[in-house]
Amino acid sequence: MRRVLWGWVLLLTALVGPARAAEQATVGSKNFTEAVILGEIAVAQGRKAGVEVTHKRQLGGTRILWRALEEGDIDAYAEYTGTLKQELLQQPDASDAQVAAALARRGLGITRSLGFQNTYAFGMRQTRAQALGIRTLSDLTAHPSLKLGLSNEFLQRADGWPGVRKAYGLPQQANGLDHDLAYRALQSGAIDVTDLYSTDAEIPYYHLVVLDDDRHFFPDYQAVFLYRLDLAQRAPEFLQVLKKLQGRIDADTMRHLNAQVKLEHHGEAQVAAQFVGVTAPQGSGRAARILRRTGEHLALVGISLGCALLVALPLGVFAARRPRLGQIVLSLTGVLQTLPSLAVFVFMIPLFGIGARPAIAALFLYSLLPIVRNTHAGLTGIPRDLRETAAALGLPPRTRLWRVELPLALRTLLAGVKTAAVINVGTATLGALIGAGGYGQPILTGIRLDNLGMILEGAVPAAVLALVVQGGFEVFERVMTPRGLRLAARA
Amino acid sequence: MPMSIFSLQRVTRRYGSAEALDAVDLEIDQGRTTALIGPSGAGKSSVLRMLIGLEWPDAGEVRFDGQPLERDTLLAQRRRIGYVIQEGGLFPHLSVRDNAALLARTLGWSKDRIAQRLEELAALCQLPPDLLARFPAELSGGQRQRVGLVRALMLDPPVLLLDEPLGALDPIVRHELQTQMRTLFAQLGKTVVLVTHDVAEAAYLADTLVLMRDGRVLQQGTARDLVDTPVDEFVTAFMTAQRTLEDAA
Repeated sequence: MRRVLWGWVLLLTALVGPARAAEQATVGSKNFTEAVILGEIAVAQGRKAGVEVTHKRQLGGTRILWRALEEGDIDAYAEYTGTLKQELLQQPDASDAQVAAALARRGLGITRSLGFQNTYAFGMRQTRAQALGIRTLSDLTAHPSLKLGLSNEFLQRADGWPGVRKAYGLPQQANGLDHDLAYRALQSGAIDVTDLYSTDAEIPYYHLVVLDDDRHFFPDYQAVFLYRLDLAQRAPEFLQVLKKLQGRIDADTMRHLNAQVKLEHHGEAQVAAQFVGVTAPQGSGRAARILRRTGEHLALVGISLGCALLVALPLGVFAARRPRLGQIVLSLTGVLQTLPSLAVFVFMIPLFGIGARPAIAALFLYSLLPIVRNTHAGLTGIPRDLRETAAALGLPPRTRLWRVELPLALRTLLAGVKTAAVINVGTATLGALIGAGGYGQPILTGIRLDNLGMILEGAVPAAVLALVVQGGFEVFERVMTPRGLRLAARA
Repeated sequence: MPMSIFSLQRVTRRYGSAEALDAVDLEIDQGRTTALIGPSGAGKSSVLRMLIGLEWPDAGEVRFDGQPLERDTLLAQRRRIGYVIQEGGLFPHLSVRDNAALLARTLGWSKDRIAQRLEELAALCQLPPDLLARFPAELSGGQRQRVGLVRALMLDPPVLLLDEPLGALDPIVRHELQTQMRTLFAQLGKTVVLVTHDVAEAAYLADTLVLMRDGRVLQQGTARDLVDTPVDEFVTAFMTAQRTLEDAA
């Protein structure tokens, strides 16, 4: 028993031990294609300038990136000025100077626009627009018979269709439809105009034109990099790299980059490298990728489970020894289990930043209950006369625990660890949402790119690993169960 | 007059509102065998369990060898007492040898010393030495009982407590073990306290009987005392409630 525990401790130190290599800068990206491409462009541009940049890909939504930047987990990420003003600073009417000042107070800086904006827009097929002579939104007023098919959300939002209609005095009626269907509807001529984001990959792919927002109804969503001001001291070259990207990417270029990734299925790193004009880093083969993610995933599961074992085992013993306090311990760990896992992962960010640590912390919390509960159940399930005999023999409490009670509770206890491990393997895939890597990474990317193969590249190994863990524990359980107990079970 | 090794003074124990023991005074003689007898629920097991600190009195005091039984000194006191329950109370995950040697190992006995002591005790309790490597699940009821005895005697304690030691055995094995135990107790000269519901067994094994009823000691004395000079009709009824083969004829 004790040897097993020491084994865990050694394993943990081995996994946590290796110091991280010195890095010059870290860029983060949100969980959508354009953001990831911009992150990769920063990496490629950095490599061109001889700066080593680490990219923490698709960390999550705006809030997570913003906080990661504030906490210093990342040094920069691509953001849109509209989001910055409205959501993050909550000063929708702030001037550029006011924005810069508000950022500076937080130790952050902002580049000038990268050269494009990604905002709501209206699009039409090129041929149709040319035929009708439509270039701007105002031009639509002259063609009341045009059929508008708009995404349902856009149709409802005050800053969507109702606002546009009023601002331009548009005479048409609009029907709601699914955004992905809209492109096909345009193609078939079922509709003439739809709403889109101005850098959507589908724009060049379906030969669409974006109508000019000539009355400036839609807010400005210029793409910029936000960065930490301390970069100027820590990695001035990287700051130069970011500034070099100002004005370099126009909307058309961005659309093409998006299309190459989303529609032509090239890797973001390759597309970015090609754009910057450097050779792309050699992409690793599928086997190597899966191997690396397996390592990451096992580290997440192993470390969290090991730590949980070190905490939950004594807690379970304590709960069995002190029934009344034990009930409180069991209830508390039970409550932890009821928290939605996604929420727990996100709650860990303020405490542990982004990456593997918050994921391990969240998985740790999830592992507690099964182990505490089963340790408690195993110990309290030992027949009373055996517990009493151990006491009456005059065995010291430690000997009683290690030589009698834990071996007798071992089966139940291991079943708890197994449950925790299997749950962990599945839940750890969520770790990718906060930059922890593992099998969740391809799943997340696959969902973003609507790429089933990529989703399976994460989902299949995760399922296999869960089965392997389950089977491994069953073998381990058989090996660890003392022969006497197996005989007793058969008798 | 033999010295008393256990002494209960005004010992009371309640389970909820029911009284399991009602101000029991009891002296147990050193170096002799005492049997606690009585109907179910009389409190005889409670008394035995109090002698080794598995239960504690709500009022009154239990003294062992002149010292009150206390939680602080319990570990040392328990090591001077051997304890055997029905079926031996063996740990199913440990071999016979490990069951018997567990405490001795904890106390740092050498391998040789343990092996030698085990050999002695196996002979004494008529346990075939080849059973030492087996697990409890591989033993018969009588063999388990012998292992329980070996384990209890490992440190050569001056006192042996037995709670219904032969309760679960078939008649032939039980008879055989009764004979051997009687010899063993006489040979060892230890203080033995045993609980049994079988009057004949008590009379056969013990020098002194303690008859209990409803949480009180009704009468203490030799079997003859209880039969010849019973304190009340219940004592007579209890002592004579035995069937013999003649009854059947």
